[in-house]
Amino acid sequence: MRFLSLALSILLPAAHIVQAAESEAIVQAHILPRYALLDSETAKLADAAEADCRPQSEALQTAYHSAFDAWIGVAHLRFGPSEQGDRAFALAFWPDPRGSTPKALGALIRDADPALDAADSFASVSIAARGFYALEYLLYDPAFKDAQTAEYQCRLITAITQDIHRNAAAIRAGWEDGYGALLAHPGNDTYRSADEATRQVFTALSTGLEFNADTRLGRPLGTFDRPRPNRAEARRSGRSLRHVVLSLASLRELAGLISDSDAELDRKFELALERADRLDDPIFAGVADPAKRFRVEALQQSVRDIRSVLSEHVGPRLGIAAGFNSMDGD
Amino acid sequence: MKSLILVTSAAALSLGSAAMADGQVTKAAVLDTYADIAEATYADSLTTAKRLQAAVDALIANPSAEALEQAKAAWIAARVPYQQSEVYRFGNAIVDDWEGKVNAWPLDEGLIDYVDASYGGPSDENEAAVLNVIATPSFTLSGETVDASKITPALLEETLQEADGVEANVATGYHAIEFLLWGQDLNGHAAGAGARPWTDYATGDDCTGGHCDRRSEYLKAASDLLVSDLEWMAAQWADGGAARAEVMADEDAGISAMLTGMGSLSYGEQAGERMRLGLMLNDPEEEHDCFSDNTHNSHYYDGMGVQNVYLGEYVRVDGSLVTGPSLSDLVAEHDATLDAEMTVKLSQTMMALGRIKTAAEAGFAYDMMLERGNAAGEALVMGGVNGLIDQTKTIERVVAALGVSAIDFEGSDSLDNPDAVFQ
Repeated sequence: MRFLSLALSILLPAAHIVQAAESEAIVQAHILPRYALLDSETAKLADAAEADCRPQSEALQTAYHSAFDAWIGVAHLRFGPSEQGDRAFALAFWPDPRGSTPKALGALIRDADPALDAADSFASVSIAARGFYALEYLLYDPAFKDAQTAEYQCRLITAITQDIHRNAAAIRAGWEDGYGALLAHPGNDTYRSADEATRQVFTALSTGLEFNADTRLGRPLGTFDRPRPNRAEARRSGRSLRHVVLSLASLRELAGLISDSDAELDRKFELALERADRLDDPIFAGVADPAKRFRVEALQQSVRDIRSVLSEHVGPRLGIAAGFNSMDGD
Repeated sequence: MKSLILVTSAAALSLGSAAMADGQVTKAAVLDTYADIAEATYADSLTTAKRLQAAVDALIANPSAEALEQAKAAWIAARVPYQQSEVYRFGNAIVDDWEGKVNAWPLDEGLIDYVDASYGGPSDENEAAVLNVIATPSFTLSGETVDASKITPALLEETLQEADGVEANVATGYHAIEFLLWGQDLNGHAAGAGARPWTDYATGDDCTGGHCDRRSEYLKAASDLLVSDLEWMAAQWADGGAARAEVMADEDAGISAMLTGMGSLSYGEQAGERMRLGLMLNDPEEEHDCFSDNTHNSHYYDGMGVQNVYLGEYVRVDGSLVTGPSLSDLVAEHDATLDAEMTVKLSQTMMALGRIKTAAEAGFAYDMMLERGNAAGEALVMGGVNGLIDQTKTIERVVAALGVSAIDFEGSDSLDNPDAVFQ
C-alpha cells in the first residue's frame, strides 16, 4: 500500500492533480463565460449597425463600447480557437505603428471596394481595416465620421460589425465544441500533461500583464523627453485607461484560479486597480505633463510588480515558467 | 517527402551517435559548439560584408550598371550568413543590444533619400519620415539644428539612427544599404524589386535623383559602419570574447539562452511579426527585405539558424562544416523521443520555408504571396508560420525536459521599445 502510494506520487505529484482541476475551472469559470459574453455583445453590435449604421447613432456607440469591453476581457487568451483563421488578429489589430488602419480604410473607401458586399470576400481584407480598432476610426475619427462618402461608410460599418460577430461566434464555438475539453482534460496531443495546460494559461496571464505595462501604458508614456500621448490605445473613443482596468480585472480573475487564490498576488492586483481608479486620466493625456506623468508611471510599475510576483513566487510554487509569447520579438 | 525526412533524421542520428561515441555529452561541450558556430557565422558575415564594401567602393569609383549589379549581388550573398546569426540575438543581451545597428527593420526610408509621392509625408508617429538627408545638408531634428554637410559614419550612427526616438528611423545597417542599392519597390503586389538606376551614383550631368555625391557618401559610410559593427561582434565570440564568456559562465543559463533564442526567433519574431503580420495586412512593405525582394531567403536562413543551433552544425561560406556536440545530443540523452520530435519539426519548418524560397525563385515573388485573396501565397506563407509555431511548442517541451526553465529574457531593446505587434 505504501509502495503503491509512493509510486503514484512519483507518477502524479500532488501539484499536478491540483493543476488539472484548475485548468477545468479556468475553462468553466473564466474562458467560456467571457467568450459567451463576447458572442452576445457582438451580436447586439451587429444588430445595432443593421438598425442604424450612422456613426452618430447612440445605440450603435453604446453597443460598440459594450462589445469592446467584452473583447478586452478575453484579449489575453491568445491561443487555440482565437488563433485559428486569424480571428483574434482580425478582431483587434493594435498597436498600429505604421498607421495601417487609416490607410487601409482610406483605400477601401476611395475605391468603393466591393469586398464588403460578401462575408467571404470581406474576410480576406487586411486585418487593419477590420475589427474594433477600424470600427473606432469610422465612428469617432473626424476624417472618417464626417466624410462625404457616408453611404459607403455606413455599409462598411455594418460589414465590420458582422465580421466582428462572426469571428467572436467562431471562437466561442471552437472553445465549446472541443478545444475547451483539450485544455480542461490534458493528456491529449495538444496538452500532453497538466503542466503543459497550466503553462499555456500561465503564459497568457504573464503576457497579458506585459502587454498592459509595456504596450497599453508604455507606448503613450514613451520617454520623459518624448511622451507619446497620441499612441494611447483607442483614445478616439476615450477608452485607453478603461482597457487597462478591464484587462486587469479579467487577469485578476484568471490569476486567482491559477494560483489557488494567492493572497499576495491578489493584493498586487488590488493595488494596481486602486492606482488606475485614482488616475482620472481616461486617455493618458497626462503623460506629457510632468506633474501627472508620474502617476501613469506608478500604474505601470504596479502592473510590473504583479508580473514579478507571478514569475518569482507563484510560478516556482506551481513548478511552471511562462513559455514563449508574441512579444518576444522586436 | 516522407523519405526525405527519414533521411534527414537518420543523418542527424548518426551524427548524434558520433558525438556521443566517447561518453556523455556535457553542457559545456554543447555550449562550446554553440559559441563556435556563432564565431563562424559572424566571421562569415564580416567576410561577406567586406566583399560588399569592396563592391560599393568600386561602384562609387566607377559608376556603371554592372558595378551596381555587382554590389547588389554582394549584398544578397552577405545576407546568407547574417540571417543564420539571428538566432543568437534573443537570449544573448550583448547581441540584442547591438543588432539594431545592423539589421533594424522596418524603416521609413524617406529619412534617407528621395521617395515616391505615394509614400506620404511626415506621420503622427514619425516627423522625420521624409527628411531625405541626402538632399538636405542642414535640418532641424528634435528641435536642434543638425549639420549634415558631410555624411559620415558618426552622423548616421549618432544622430540619424533612431532619430527623435523613433525606431523606424533606420539610418544604418543592411536595410539602409539595401534601399540605397535597390530603391523603393514600386511594383506593389506585382513581380519586380526596387529599380534604382545606376545613374543615381553617376557623376556630373549624368547624375539622376539629385545629390549623387552625397548618396555615394551615404552608401560608403553605411557600408563602412556595417563592416566595423560586424568586426566588433565577431570579436565578442572569439576566444576571450565577452559573448562567449557570458555563455560559458553559467551552463544552465547558457543552455537556456540557446533555447530562448530558438523559441523567440521562431515564434514572436519570425512567425508573428515578420511573416503572419505582413500576410494579414496584405502589405508588400511588410516584407522583411522589401527593396530587394529577397524576403524568401531572409526567412529561409533565419529558420536555418534555429536548426543550426539545435543540430550543432553550420556550413560556412567557404563550404566547410563547423560541428560538435549538440543540443540534440543532450536532449537525446534525456529523452530520445523528444529529440526526434524536435529534429523532425525543424526539418518540416525548413521544408515549408524552402517551398516559399522555391516558388519565389521561380518567379512567384514574396510580395505576390501577400496579395489579398491569393490563396496559394497564403498557403505557402502560413505553411512556414505553422511550422515555426509548431516547433516552438516542442522547444518549450525541451526547456521543461532539461529543467532550464528560466526563460524570461528581455534585452533592453525590448524593454525600451515595446512595439509588439499583437498580443
